[in-house]
Amino acid sequence: MTAILQNFMQGSVQKFLRESLPILAMIGYAALNTFFVILISPFFMGVIKKAKALCQRRKGQPVLQQYYNLLKLFKKETVVSHNSSWIMLKAPYINIAVIIVASLFVPVLFSYNNTFSFYADHTTDNNTSNYTNPNNASNSPIFGNILLFLYLLALGKFFMALSGLDAGSAFGGMGSSREMSLSAILEPITFLILLAFAFVFKTTNFFEIFTLTSTTGIVLANPALILLAASLFVVLIAETARVPVDNPETHLELTMIHEAMILEQSGKNLALMEASHAIKQTLFMAVFINIFVPFGYIGNTGNIGNSAAITFVSIMIAMLWFSLKGTILAVAIALFESSTAKLRLFKVPELFMISFFLAFLTIIIEVFR
Amino acid sequence: MIRLLIYISLIALLTGSFIPLISVKHARIVRKFSLFAAVIGSIAMLAFSSAILYTGNALRIFLFQVHPLFQIGLFIDRLAAFFMFTIAIVGLAVAVYSLSYIEHYEYKTRKNVLTGLMSIFILSMALVIASANMASLLFFWEIMALSSFILVCLDYDKKETRKAALFYFAMTQLSTLFLVAAFAIIYNITGSLEITQMQSLSSGPQITPLLSTILFLCIFLGFGIKAGIIPFHKWLPYAHPAAPSNISALMSGLMIKVAIYGLIRFIMFVLPVASLWWGVLILVAGTLSAILGVIYALKEHDIKTLLAYHSIENIGIILMGFGLYIIFSLNNLTQLAMLSLASSLFHTLNHALFKSILFMAAGSVVNATGTKNIEELGGLIKKMPTTAVLFLIGAVSISGLPPFNGFVSELMLFQAFFNVYLLGSYSLQMLLVVCVAVLALTSALAAACFVKAFGIIFLAQPRSKKAEDAKEAPSSMLLGPGILAALCILLGVFSFQIFQAVSGMFGIQFSIPNLLVIGILLILTYMLALFFADSGKKSKLKNIRESETWGCGYKFPLKHIPTIPTEYTASGFSEPIVNIFKKFYLPKRNLERNYYDQAQSVFKDGFVEISLIKFFEKYMYMPVAAGVDFVSRKISRLQSAGLDAYVSYLFIACLGIIILMRFII
Amino acid sequence: MMLTAILSGLSETPEFSSFSSSISSLPSALSSSLSYPLEQVEKVLPADIQISVDIIKIFLVLIILTAAFITVRRDLISMINIYSIQSFLIVIVSLAIYYSEKHPTLIYIALITLVSKVIAVPFIIKRVSKDLKIKRDVEFHYLTPTSTIFVSILILFFMYGAFSDLGLEPVHPLSRIFTLAATLSISLVFMGMIIIFTRKQTITDVIGYLTMENGVVLFSLFVAELPMVIEVMILLDLVMLILLLVLLGFGIDSSIEEFHAKLDPFRKLLGKEGEEQE
Repeated sequence: MTAILQNFMQGSVQKFLRESLPILAMIGYAALNTFFVILISPFFMGVIKKAKALCQRRKGQPVLQQYYNLLKLFKKETVVSHNSSWIMLKAPYINIAVIIVASLFVPVLFSYNNTFSFYADHTTDNNTSNYTNPNNASNSPIFGNILLFLYLLALGKFFMALSGLDAGSAFGGMGSSREMSLSAILEPITFLILLAFAFVFKTTNFFEIFTLTSTTGIVLANPALILLAASLFVVLIAETARVPVDNPETHLELTMIHEAMILEQSGKNLALMEASHAIKQTLFMAVFINIFVPFGYIGNTGNIGNSAAITFVSIMIAMLWFSLKGTILAVAIALFESSTAKLRLFKVPELFMISFFLAFLTIIIEVFR
Repeated sequence: MIRLLIYISLIALLTGSFIPLISVKHARIVRKFSLFAAVIGSIAMLAFSSAILYTGNALRIFLFQVHPLFQIGLFIDRLAAFFMFTIAIVGLAVAVYSLSYIEHYEYKTRKNVLTGLMSIFILSMALVIASANMASLLFFWEIMALSSFILVCLDYDKKETRKAALFYFAMTQLSTLFLVAAFAIIYNITGSLEITQMQSLSSGPQITPLLSTILFLCIFLGFGIKAGIIPFHKWLPYAHPAAPSNISALMSGLMIKVAIYGLIRFIMFVLPVASLWWGVLILVAGTLSAILGVIYALKEHDIKTLLAYHSIENIGIILMGFGLYIIFSLNNLTQLAMLSLASSLFHTLNHALFKSILFMAAGSVVNATGTKNIEELGGLIKKMPTTAVLFLIGAVSISGLPPFNGFVSELMLFQAFFNVYLLGSYSLQMLLVVCVAVLALTSALAAACFVKAFGIIFLAQPRSKKAEDAKEAPSSMLLGPGILAALCILLGVFSFQIFQAVSGMFGIQFSIPNLLVIGILLILTYMLALFFADSGKKSKLKNIRESETWGCGYKFPLKHIPTIPTEYTASGFSEPIVNIFKKFYLPKRNLERNYYDQAQSVFKDGFVEISLIKFFEKYMYMPVAAGVDFVSRKISRLQSAGLDAYVSYLFIACLGIIILMRFII
Repeated sequence: MMLTAILSGLSETPEFSSFSSSISSLPSALSSSLSYPLEQVEKVLPADIQISVDIIKIFLVLIILTAAFITVRRDLISMINIYSIQSFLIVIVSLAIYYSEKHPTLIYIALITLVSKVIAVPFIIKRVSKDLKIKRDVEFHYLTPTSTIFVSILILFFMYGAFSDLGLEPVHPLSRIFTLAATLSISLVFMGMIIIFTRKQTITDVIGYLTMENGVVLFSLFVAELPMVIEVMILLDLVMLILLLVLLGFGIDSSIEEFHAKLDPFRKLLGKEGEEQE
């Protein structure tokens, strides 16, 4: 009797597990990836600030200061303008929601087979992952689509720009105007880089791309792809409002783009805006790192539950690797920032144009060889 | 059953168009009745078009014969049903919207004309699409042109309106001219005007490459002018602001789509097999229209002109999809071809939806404030909250942001583009790479433009008295665009499911991301963020202090000059982009300086003017117009002669005819 | 769910399928006559040669990129430095070709380029510009920097179209990148021309000439083994050019400079230099 019950229990639990595995895996992946990204991003911000301070022969703030800043801002009250509407109040929440969902699209530590269908009966088969059959739409991956990732970020930017206009101050308007203009002319570069990736990797899914780069050495086989790193670096600099394009440290009229846009935010709302900016930076850094220096990344194509590659230890090691590489990249960004001067606003398109040219050339030589 | 629905729809729309003529006395009731008839007609059309979309059984109905060549008959297959579906949805929403909108219209007797013509307009668009015969297509095409012409020049007291209407009429007749030429060639070759029995054209030996080129160019120009591709776009930014807002919604949402339908129908089913350069031409024209449309839109501060330019942009995107379809299918990449076609068709539907929302919401704003200039608006989100939300939904959709519908069609287009490596030709690949970059720029600029439009119209403080006194629009003016807004969201969020369902129709599997999951995740994260941010001990979300906008130590508004607002303006917003793309606007600076002395050192007064050269108008339309003018003046000189001259013309004509008949033919 | 059920029951339209089949069964002659021939069958190269091919490709891109940088830079010193880098990249490319080709001429070319164009010519021009006290060249004719790069992209486009089906007989085992190299080097020549006609200063013009000349050298590296004579002739040309520059520079620009020195107070008054002072 007990044996039967036990059998039944076990069977049903196993069956339950097998059926709900994709969803559990998704939740597990989402929790892990998101929390890691959220927790690490203020650290990178702090590293950049510290390294810049050291370059300027200052002592600089502690590396962990960004965490204290965020906590402090969360405790402060929110002050909004009489003129502003619900856009101002909701925009930080929309922004952080969008950025967090976008963070699910960039696997920082490991890939897994994130395809599942709500309709077809789901038999978890390790051997036929979506990589073998990318055209099968019922198995199309939930996360990882690069285009959706970019457009999610654009959605956040849209609402951020609206909130900049909402208070009716000249500064916010100036910030959102410049942000939208610069991001508009940055877009062709981003898409050319994407196109080059699509040419080389034959996919536009981050999970698959990172798996390819970390397991096959495809970047080494296409050395010209390294040229794209320069273009991607320009995109990274511009998207995260760094020096030749914007100056993250001042609110002066000449430089203000991103900072001016969130000038009217305060308290919790400001904290959310800052946090989402930091997360966005980490995401772009993760894209850069996982494509060009992918070692340490767990690229696998199996499902989470029954893949040997994903264990607690390996994830820990991946975290360490990523933190290390991220710190190095952050220092590199800081050095780059310290060694260049802020460009005049209308010279920025020239920088973008050079970067566009580079991406175009890379496509020509690498793709149409 | 379907036939019954079609008859109901036709009769309802016809009734709707003639009812307003019955009585001027009980005008209000009559108008309501007419609009209800239009609503019923639209619903019936919705029903039968979705039935045909579902079954896929093409339907052929013979109605009426005027002449053996001119038979009025309907032929509705899936392609036509898809376009009729679009017309029905938008027509329904616009009819609902018009219930209140028309009552706000200034002139009394013209309201009836407006109501009646609107039904005729919708009916004629539907019948153009359903026409089984080129003659009847032309007939309804002309009715469509005429009714829209009258609708555009409804405000004929204003000078600009008259100019706009005439401009529109000239352009639309030009398009008809090309179509007549094309149809004449087709009739000459095949001896038939039936649209659906044109297999002989593609297989027959009669067609030479030259003829097929001419045929394609005539079709492309004829429909392209009506669709508003650059450089034949100029009528759109004139006609849309001049027309009443509901008519703008119909024209921009539907009429230009009818032209797209014609292009697709004729190139896919009637013309001989396409050659590669057709696809390239359509792609390049589409790309140019997309980028130039959005660049011109950024400069515009008249809300309706801005939207008109965005129509040009979106037509460009639709044409890019169709051009890609031709290119891919000629390279035997059927899957990609179908993906491009699907993106093109889906964007057609999407654009009809969100552009109509935007025009209707803009119409509400114009109604409430009495101005189309966005520099005079501002702060309307508090005065007209629902309209603001509707406009916001339209703006997010047209900017192509997830999880709304505009994103999905752009995503599919990009996906098609990202497979260019499958093409054989290097030059073609390079062209497509450039097109991708331009498309990306277009979509980002569109987002910037709609941040400007929404931000300046609805956010911050009112910039004029008119905006301060605005009131929310009546409920039917919210319901109409509301239907479409709901559809925008549904079509976006359920896009994965929809395209899984229609994948059999196109014969490919669409690998688009599941936006339903993404949407749920977005809402969940939003709630979580709200929850965590609120969970602090002291800080409740309600506990928000209101204060003044920080103004660098100044007090807003400045006390000594209280009338000058310090907020950002629309021209200020678009200034960086205008500066970057100044090559496209061709600004011309006119500087005059007067001095007190000969040495020109003491400045007296001066005059400076910055104007934009209307490139296409100045270098394309005007020379043509001048040429036509010149020729017609020459001809009119002949006409003004006396009786003797006329007799001599008669003499020459008769002699000429005899010579022609006897010796030449 | 209902929508799914309704729509999934659809059968395919006869029109759609018939059309797609008709278009897919097109005579292939039609499409192939319009498109360029497909990629040639890839030859499997030895690993080290493959690496040198990849390196050459990267450096070719970098060379073009230096030209693009020259078109947008405004200060002369960095322009000269970039030119020097560009020449150095050509040295590397010729060495990389030597690695797979083992032709001694390439080594000579590399040496001559290194001595003359990486070291000597930039040094002389720097001296001249120092004497002339000209630091910047901020005026652009006809094209702004951004549109210059745009035009360069168009040039690349046309060059690619021109060379991709030319069917030139390549001499190297590096034939796979021959088309590419030809495209890029001729584009480099054209970009040099653009530099010349978009700038006003004599020194910038000279840098434009030198860029063109680099393009010619680059092309010659790939086309065939050039006789040393021609290489030396090019070098002589260069020397003449520099001589001319020195003469012209001192003869014309210095006098203009002196004239400007007299005008200086007025220029400040008029705010002519305001453009760069931000």
